[in-house]
Amino acid sequence: MRDLVVLGGSSHPHLTKSICRNLTIEQGQVLSKKFSNGETSIEIEDSVREKDVFIVQSGCGDVNDNFIELLIMISACKIASATRVTAVLPLFPYSRQPDVPHAANITGAPLISTKKDSYTFESTPSTPRPLSRGSSLNQSYFADSLPLSGNNNNNNTSRDGLLERATLNNLKQPQPTKGTYTPRSIVTNSASTNIPVVDAYGKTDNGYKQWVAQNGTLIANLLTTAGADRLITMDLHDPQFQGFFNIPVDNLYSRPLLKHYIKDYIPNYQDCVIVSPDSGGAKRATSIADSLGCSFALIHKERRAKVAKNPPSTYASSSSSSVNLLNSVSTSHTNVVATTMLVGDVKDKVCVLIDDLVDTSYTITRAAKLLKDQGAKYVYALVTHGVFSGDAINRVNKSDIDRVITTNSVPQLDNVSVIGPENFEVLDISRILAEAIRRIHNGESVSMLFDHGW
Amino acid sequence: MTKSPNNIKLIGGNSHPQLCQSVATKLGMPLARVGAFQYTNSETAVAVGESVRDEDVYIIQTCCDESKINQYLMELLITINACKIASARRVSVVIPNYFYARQDKKDKSRAPITAKLIANLLQTAGCDHVITMDLHASQIQGFFRVPVDNLYAEPSVLRYITEQFERKDLIIVSPDAGGAKRVASIADKLDVNFALIHKERQKANEISRMVLVGDVSNKICVLIDDMADTCGTLCKAAEILIENGASKVVAMVTHGVFSSNAIEKLNNSKLDRVICTNSLPLKDKAAACPKLEVIDISPTIAEAIRRLHNGESVSYLFNNVPE
Repeated sequence: MRDLVVLGGSSHPHLTKSICRNLTIEQGQVLSKKFSNGETSIEIEDSVREKDVFIVQSGCGDVNDNFIELLIMISACKIASATRVTAVLPLFPYSRQPDVPHAANITGAPLISTKKDSYTFESTPSTPRPLSRGSSLNQSYFADSLPLSGNNNNNNTSRDGLLERATLNNLKQPQPTKGTYTPRSIVTNSASTNIPVVDAYGKTDNGYKQWVAQNGTLIANLLTTAGADRLITMDLHDPQFQGFFNIPVDNLYSRPLLKHYIKDYIPNYQDCVIVSPDSGGAKRATSIADSLGCSFALIHKERRAKVAKNPPSTYASSSSSSVNLLNSVSTSHTNVVATTMLVGDVKDKVCVLIDDLVDTSYTITRAAKLLKDQGAKYVYALVTHGVFSGDAINRVNKSDIDRVITTNSVPQLDNVSVIGPENFEVLDISRILAEAIRRIHNGESVSMLFDHGW
Repeated sequence: MTKSPNNIKLIGGNSHPQLCQSVATKLGMPLARVGAFQYTNSETAVAVGESVRDEDVYIIQTCCDESKINQYLMELLITINACKIASARRVSVVIPNYFYARQDKKDKSRAPITAKLIANLLQTAGCDHVITMDLHASQIQGFFRVPVDNLYAEPSVLRYITEQFERKDLIIVSPDAGGAKRVASIADKLDVNFALIHKERQKANEISRMVLVGDVSNKICVLIDDMADTCGTLCKAAEILIENGASKVVAMVTHGVFSSNAIEKLNNSKLDRVICTNSLPLKDKAAACPKLEVIDISPTIAEAIRRLHNGESVSYLFNNVPE
């Protein structure tokens, strides 16, 4: 193909290579290295003058490093007189807006993910804070408050086997899971000394409700500033994300690929149940269920801030002394209570969990546990972007998920070796991306890829 | 309509907590409750714990730490954007050591001008004013559409020299032709002679041959440069000066990057002392190198922030060190 150059960032060289193989072109050579002071150095070795340049970079690994590398590459091509620069981001960085971490301070996830031998998929892990300071205090607070949150239903605690069975018999009842706030990602950087300390209400000591900046528009603007003329991505977490850009965005779907997998590799697929692990993914899952004629179930997570009947008096004043703050943390009987509910019947069925992105894997592993508890026979997890950050892959390995199917939008080699190729399958998206690149380069319509895949 | 008076909000990035803290102390105010952290998937997020509405925000972040430069850069961009969408009246960034300052020209085919890209990114994120120090090339100021205050460590350096050395024994030396202008200005102000080392460079960070221009015999040589990275230049220059009869060689740099094995090189070099500013955190490097001395630049930065906030002239700081 004339005037077409495909370059690859350092995040996912395999994908770039197979895209080029599918396009039957030579991959453009880029020398990406670090200067001695750690700054990223880019040299584009082939001429890009008056060329149509595509740069493949996935939002995985060290996201910031890879993203800045992409920006520098785009800018380098642009000032080297490329006609058009298209960024190909199979997994879009910062596409999922993380939850506010103050909730993680209360009933959050572990600070540092270490490999463990046993996981509980019902209770929330107990390390509460993004900061090292005061964590022991908070931890004991958390332990104290546990029975409170679990008490509202049948007195069951998941560590107790007998009571757990009791829950199983009461299928219709919503299952209380202890301290069930699920952070989408986990705070790890304990070096940050400036993160505000917040209380159970997410307020700092001056009474300001802490919030976390949402990066969507910024990322979009940075890409445009660097000089990207067009974007190709896949299964954006929020379809509205496209609206953040002033340049054309082609959001490809992995849905045809997933549908093919279900049709071709799941025996008696008409009898299986498509399950969405949270309400946000319901639309995605229903559209697959509809087109395959399968039944559908939904796992719904409710989060409620449950305030105790007698709020501690320290709150009444809500003044800004640190002593006050400590008091409120240690005496407050406030917790975020969540219940996980399954809507639909999965008894003795093969379940197919469908999600667009698995990061910490808390949602999906808990969903699998719930499905098995409700009598599901076999649980597949079909995930477009398997990020599996931190300890997620080991968690998935130990969970009730019987088979994981994901795509190579991020490198999966290490994950395959953890779970084993018999239970972990990787679908190739390079053909879809290559076809999209070919069509865009030739000015053809891309929409047939939305329906039929490739 | 005149705007109501507002306050300074000082936000410290994760790159250099000590500098942020001492600037805050000099301004007599606490750091704002705004902090950046990372999720396990290594995406950065910024938590804002107090109102910055209609305030005058200053964010301090410097380019340092070999493995985290891009992370700190993203952190800075996200923090700027967070303040901007939280309705801050003005967002100024304080970058003592500018990011990618040496990538400032298209020196070969298809090389990126990353310094320009960074300037664009900062402005896209929403920064209204930039304070930096001893830019590698002062033309980088022209990469911005917003005002840039390029502060100088020179007054602090001058004061150190006059306090430490006898003027008659001194000679100021530039380790390369690029720094000649900076060195000449310092030599002028001290009223001492200056010499120049001309180097023939073949590859970045590799020096092949050096030629000394000027007489340095029996003098205390003060090598002055804007940045010490791998320290190859400085160590080589010190050797040449000693060979040419210098009694003692001292190096003064603004930005002490000291990457890879620079500290080891300095310890084994002919340099008597190395003086740098705390524009970058030195961490354990200061302990590993007994020759290293640090000048505190936080008074200059704090005063610049104060003057900027009050709408006073900053040019006083180009020639004076605030107390």
